[in-house]
Amino acid sequence: MVVLTEQQVTFILDEIKRNGIELEELQLNLLDHICCVIENEMLADQDFGEFYHAIIPRFFKRDLLEIQQETDLLLTFKHYYAMKKVMIGSGIFSAITFIAGAFLKLMYLPAGSALLVLAVSSFSLLFLPLVFLLKAKEVKVKREKITLSVAAIFAILFSLSILFKIMHWPGANILSMTALGILVFVFLPIYFFGGIRNAEARTNTITTSILILSAGGLLFMLTSIKPSRRVNFLHYTALQQLNESYKYATAQTKMLSVDSATASNKLKPDFTELHNSCDELCHKIETEKNRINEYITAGQDPKQDYEEVFYDYATDYDVPNNLLFDNLGNPSSHLIAIKNDMAHLKTLLKEKYNKRDIAILNIADADSYGNPEKEIVPWEKAKFYHVPYGLVMTNFTQLQLDVRMIEASCL
Amino acid sequence: MYNQNKVYLCSMYSSELIKGTLKTIILKLLSENGKMYGYEITQKVKELTDGKIQLTEGALYPTLHALEDDGILTTNAVNVGNRIRKYYTVTKSGKKLATEKVNEYQDFMNTMIFLLDLKPNLG
Repeated sequence: MVVLTEQQVTFILDEIKRNGIELEELQLNLLDHICCVIENEMLADQDFGEFYHAIIPRFFKRDLLEIQQETDLLLTFKHYYAMKKVMIGSGIFSAITFIAGAFLKLMYLPAGSALLVLAVSSFSLLFLPLVFLLKAKEVKVKREKITLSVAAIFAILFSLSILFKIMHWPGANILSMTALGILVFVFLPIYFFGGIRNAEARTNTITTSILILSAGGLLFMLTSIKPSRRVNFLHYTALQQLNESYKYATAQTKMLSVDSATASNKLKPDFTELHNSCDELCHKIETEKNRINEYITAGQDPKQDYEEVFYDYATDYDVPNNLLFDNLGNPSSHLIAIKNDMAHLKTLLKEKYNKRDIAILNIADADSYGNPEKEIVPWEKAKFYHVPYGLVMTNFTQLQLDVRMIEASCL
Repeated sequence: MYNQNKVYLCSMYSSELIKGTLKTIILKLLSENGKMYGYEITQKVKELTDGKIQLTEGALYPTLHALEDDGILTTNAVNVGNRIRKYYTVTKSGKKLATEKVNEYQDFMNTMIFLLDLKPNLG
């Protein structure tokens, strides 16, 4: 039996690697196998190089790499079918739950939103990634793999943005804009410049690129769409009138308190306390309104072009929601302080002015706006959670007006 | 996905006949002989079948790796001279699978004998 030298073993290993066998375990197996064949079959007077080249073709039909390819194929074979099953299952599940959820939501029936969340989540986080992984296995060209992965990221982000939009969750616009940005600035250039080089696919690439660009434009219009200026004008006018009423009530209260003081030479000590409480509460609300306005105009003077701000952001859910509530839906300390001051004011009115049943300044739990399920939630959630900017400002101003009205009634 | 025509088995029989038997052969051999390495398996099959079935490396190693990945086989690396040799052993679940595969194949053979009205060659 021939005994191979270290140089000969190294030569065989290098040959295995040179032929494209990358899997280390397979390299070791083939090395041992080839060595065994040579040791057992080569005669002592035979040339090692000649013998090696004579026996190596028995290991393959085309080239040695096919053993590695066959191994890779067998290793992924099992997962491939499992993934395919999960992909089809999640796809069917998403489609059924999506239709059911949309129907329930349309009919104002319970569980519609929950089904939609489930449908879009399984579609975006299970079905689409699996489609991408399975397709990526079939694609051999690196550029096509990159195009496919970018398309998958766009599809996932865009479907999630639709979920965020219909659920009025914060960040929906950021998600959809990111998705559209990826589509137009990353996917389209890769796709266009990749396809334009190929003379046969040139016309097809140009047509598809134009279609993608147009679809991107339409989606952009859809995601950034706002109510008409006319609708916003009505909102704004209502808020403006409310604001004027508040200012009027404040001035009237001041005037009445001065008249009262003049008439009796001094105000009741109790009233000073009430007046200070009302002032403090109104000031807190005003501060909160200004805080939202400053944030929404990104530091510009909100009073400078208040009407324009209202037109642009009347239906914005994100800014007031992010400022008044945390990610878990817990109210901010500012909002809680306002609620506590209202409770304090109510106690004061009850104890000192015998005002027991005050219809206004109601901070009891209530059902929120547009909630068909009539779920009872705390006051702050009912009035401000997932409520657009226009309505938040209206609610705050109405609150200020209520405070001034009740104050005036105590004089 | 998996090209069934790509069976790397050299034998005097057509590949259609021995298609799908590779796993059964490997598991049965390893269950009976304890630990074996690749070359040893090919030589054992050749010896037992008088050269009628010869496993090729292109079929053997991908199957051994797939069985190892499935947890049916375990490996033990041993230094032999200036190279490493991997010995394959059947796990507990692999032994059970080997019995199942052999029984399944036996049943299939009996069905084929009955179906084709063949008399078993006992001699």
